[in-house]
Formats: sequence, C-alpha cells, structure tokens
Amino acid sequence: MEINTPSKSLAVSIASLVIFITTWELICRLGFIEPLFLPAPSQILSRAVKMIENGQLISHTLASTRRVMVGFFVSSMVAIPFGIFLGSSRFFMAVFDPIISLLRPLPSMSWIPLSLLWLGITETQKYSIVFMGSFAPSLLYIIEATKSIDPLLIRAARNLGASKLDVMKEVILPGSLPQIIAGLKVMLGIAWTCIISAELVAAREGLGFMIMNGKEYFQTDTVLLGMVMISITVMVIDVVFRKFERRLLPWTR
Amino acid sequence: MKGLFRKTLCVLAGAVLLLGSVSVQANETPEKVTVIYGGSSWLGHYPAWVGIEKGLFQKHGLGVLFQNFYASSGRMGSLVAGDLDVASTGSISAIALMAAGSKGFMAFATPDSYATVEGIIANENIKTIADLKGKRIAAPFASSAHVLVLDILEQHGLDPEKDLTLLNLKVNEMPAAMGSGEIDACAAWTPHFNKLLNMPGNHLLVDDTEFSLYKKYKLGPGPDLLVVRKEFAQKYPNTCKAFVKGYFEAVDMLINDPEESAKVLVKLTNLSMEDQMTVLQDISWIPGQEQRALMVDPGDFVTGMQQLAEFLVKHKQIDNAPAVNEWIEESMVP
Repeated sequence: MEINTPSKSLAVSIASLVIFITTWELICRLGFIEPLFLPAPSQILSRAVKMIENGQLISHTLASTRRVMVGFFVSSMVAIPFGIFLGSSRFFMAVFDPIISLLRPLPSMSWIPLSLLWLGITETQKYSIVFMGSFAPSLLYIIEATKSIDPLLIRAARNLGASKLDVMKEVILPGSLPQIIAGLKVMLGIAWTCIISAELVAAREGLGFMIMNGKEYFQTDTVLLGMVMISITVMVIDVVFRKFERRLLPWTR
Repeated sequence: MKGLFRKTLCVLAGAVLLLGSVSVQANETPEKVTVIYGGSSWLGHYPAWVGIEKGLFQKHGLGVLFQNFYASSGRMGSLVAGDLDVASTGSISAIALMAAGSKGFMAFATPDSYATVEGIIANENIKTIADLKGKRIAAPFASSAHVLVLDILEQHGLDPEKDLTLLNLKVNEMPAAMGSGEIDACAAWTPHFNKLLNMPGNHLLVDDTEFSLYKKYKLGPGPDLLVVRKEFAQKYPNTCKAFVKGYFEAVDMLINDPEESAKVLVKLTNLSMEDQMTVLQDISWIPGQEQRALMVDPGDFVTGMQQLAEFLVKHKQIDNAPAVNEWIEESMVP
C-alpha cells in the first residue's frame, strides 16, 4: 500500500497504535501474561485516573520536567559557546578532545556517588546528574555542527575583510545553528533518560521516583505509567521545541 | 525343619524391614541437591549463612547457594521470576507482592523477632519526636524503617507531607548524610543502625518497640518471613524438607552457641566480633517447634501480618490488603 498524503500516514499510525494496544489488552485479559509482569493498558489507565485524581501524577511529572529542563538548559548554555569555540579552534580542540572522550561514555548513573559528595542530597545534585548526562554528548554535536561549515565560506568572508567575530556572527553561527538545534533535540531525549538516575537518591517526587517506588511495591502499572509519562512529556516538549525552532530559524522552513 | 523355616522367616522379615527403611530413606532423599537462597547481610539471613558455613544443610544432602541482594523487592522479584528457590524477606515486600496478585510464592516460617536493632536515629538537637518538625529525616522507602517512621509520626500527630521533609535514602548512604548534616534523623536497621549509633552526637530516638503493632501484637514493622517458590515446593518436597531441617538446626545453633555462630557471621556482616555479639543478643530466634503456632495454628504471626497489610493500605503504600493466610505453605512449616 502506498502512502502519499500526510493524512493517510496519520491514519496508518493511529491504526497501528490501536492494533498494538488492543492486542496487548487481549493478551492480558485472556490470561497469557500475569499482570505482575505486564499489566493491561486498561489497568495502567485506571492507575493514571487514580493518580490524576489525587494530584500525584501532575506533581511527579512537573518535578521531573523541572529537573530535566534546568539541567538541560544549564548544560546547553555551557555546551553551545564552548562547542562553537572548540569547533572553530584546532589547537583548543586538540587540548580538550581527550578529556571529552573520557567524559562522553560515562553514564549518568556513574555520577551519583561523586555528585552526592560534592553537592549533597539537594535539588542541585539532581540537576547536576542531568547536566553531566547530557553535557558531553551535546558538546560533541555542537563541535561537529561547527566543523561542518564550509571552510570556503569562512575564507571568503575573511577575504572580504570580516573580523573573527564577524565570521563567527555572520557565517559560523547561522550556518551551524540548524544542526545544533537538531542535536539539542536529540540531547533533550537523552536528558530525560537521566531522570531515573537523578531521582534514585533522596527524592520524594518525580517520574523516576514514581517508577522506582512502584517497582519496590510491585505496582507494575505504576512503573509502566511512569514510563508512558516520560514518553508523552518528551513528545510534548519536542513539539514545543519544533515551534521554537521555526521561529528561531525561519530560513529552514 | 521348623527351625530352618523360622530362621528363613526371620531373615525375610529383617530383609523387608531393611528394604523398607532403605526405601523410606530413598523417599526422603532430596530430589534436587542445590538450593538457591536469596539473602543479604541482614539478620534474617543469619540462619541460612550459619547453616551453609557450619555444613548443616550438607548434613541433609543439600548444597545451598547464598545469593546476595540489596533489597527485599529485588529478592522477591527474582524468586517469582524463578531465579531463586528459597529466600528470607522483609514481610512488606512479601505483602506488596501478594497485593499485586502473585501466587508464585508461599510463606512457611518466621525465623526471628527483633525490635531493638532497627529504629530512628537522630542528631543531638533532636530530643523528642516532636522536635522532628521542620527537620529532614531519611528512610529507605517501601521498607520496614519507612513504615516505622510513618507510624511514629502518626502516633505523634505529625504529617510526613507537611510537617517535615521525609527523604528516600538507602541505609548505606545514611552515615555520610548524617555526618555531613544533610539530614537530621534517619531510620535504619542493623548493621548500618549500629554504625549510625556509634557516630558521635547521634542517639536512638525510638526503636521498633514503639511501633503500634509491636505494642499490640509484638509484631515489628517488617518482620522476616521465609518464602519458597511455589513451583519449587511442589516439585521438590524432600529438598524443601531437608532445607527446613538444616535451617532450623542453624536457628538452634544461633540460640545455643551464639559465639561460634558470630565467628562465621562476621564474614557476612563485616561487623566486629563485639558488635556481632551485641546484635545477636538483641534477636529472639524462633525455633522450629514454635513455628506451627505462629504460622498455622492459631497463626498469631499471620494475624499480625494481616494487620500490617491493612496498615499499609491505610498509609496508601499498597492498594488492597491480601488475605495473608492464603500464602502459607503448611507442608513446609516445621
């Protein structure tokens, strides 16, 4: 079957989702899988209704969103200028490259012991986990985006008398921004994956906490609801990000 | 001729008796010689450890493999997933799993009763429970220590949501948090409980004897429970019997020879011999012959567990209170 319009594509996606959820519901209702291992979608929905009614779902979602946004915002604010700087300087890239290579593979969870020692069991410690989980990969995206600018354009601008700052403002920044924004969108998703680690220690709210606490009480529906909420929140933020991107980069429309 | 006939009869009778006893022995031989046990350094696992170290299971033809878990929830999850055969667990995890509807495990004994090796430890500025108002107190959520905190706060009219900050912290992270002053009090259990008490300035605010169900039923906030995977119990009854025998011989050893037991336990707990002996003095072990009265007839412990399940529902920790007696494996109760 050929899909040649966006509405057809949407219809296929919706049908696929409906079939997936219905099959899942049927498998659970017919008793093929114990609810402890996989609860039915209706069970997750009823947990969601209960948690919306007592206000817990909203407060957990808001707490995690705040932690991700603060950690990610600070990470981006440091990574963008630093990445552009490194991407346009071979010398400093050579200096910092081994350090970035050492930091990049570290999972956010590995930062927990150090962050606890340095920052204690505070909100800042949770922001720092998101920061550390997203900083190095963001930095690499930005360095690559900066490096991807055609050197001919930079040379041409210099030949025309542009200063280093002018080249940065008029050539490098506008040229690399679409790729930087695309990288940051990917990184925002990664920042959300850090939330479980961030909320493992001394948390009393947040989707990560909700998932881990649900696990302790074998409330698999709560665990899955937390996972679904993370996906939904990332999707909503992605839509907002796209709108922001259209405004910031009108030439990419 | 008559004599020969008698002699033959006697020999035959003897042979039948001998064969009978051999076949009884054969019938009681464990069907599976390795049992995977889920444990940790918590005192509820001392009998299993002592049984392994002193060869008490081996005596009954069993090799017991001690698998370490940090939390009861992980242990119970592994048990119902089929990775463990037998485990001791904090009963909150077991009740939560019952409430989740799992019928994959059964309970058959409670090895100990402790009340003074778990409690709330506070810094010197906190003299009473009322002083906790406005302070930061830590407890590992979904544990007996958490239940103790909720109960004590309720008894003293404090709301954990409004009157103070209740944080979720693992017991092994508590000494550092108390030392740096990031928390003012915490609820922990041995061996971390002892370490926290030994820190300068810290003191015991309350222990499990202040728990409301302890005052009524002598039941702590998370009594230990021995559980078995249901499928394992059905498939290997002799192995289970042999395990129970070895286990309760270890309990007897802990009662009768604590010093000898402590010598092997320090390898598990990393406590000093002196601290280990102190911990052992604070535990009341429940021997095999007392188990039936607690678990089956009249089932005082099971009644208390039912109350605990209802307490958890009241404090919104679980959705529904399961009928605890439906999870008792009578055939394994010594």
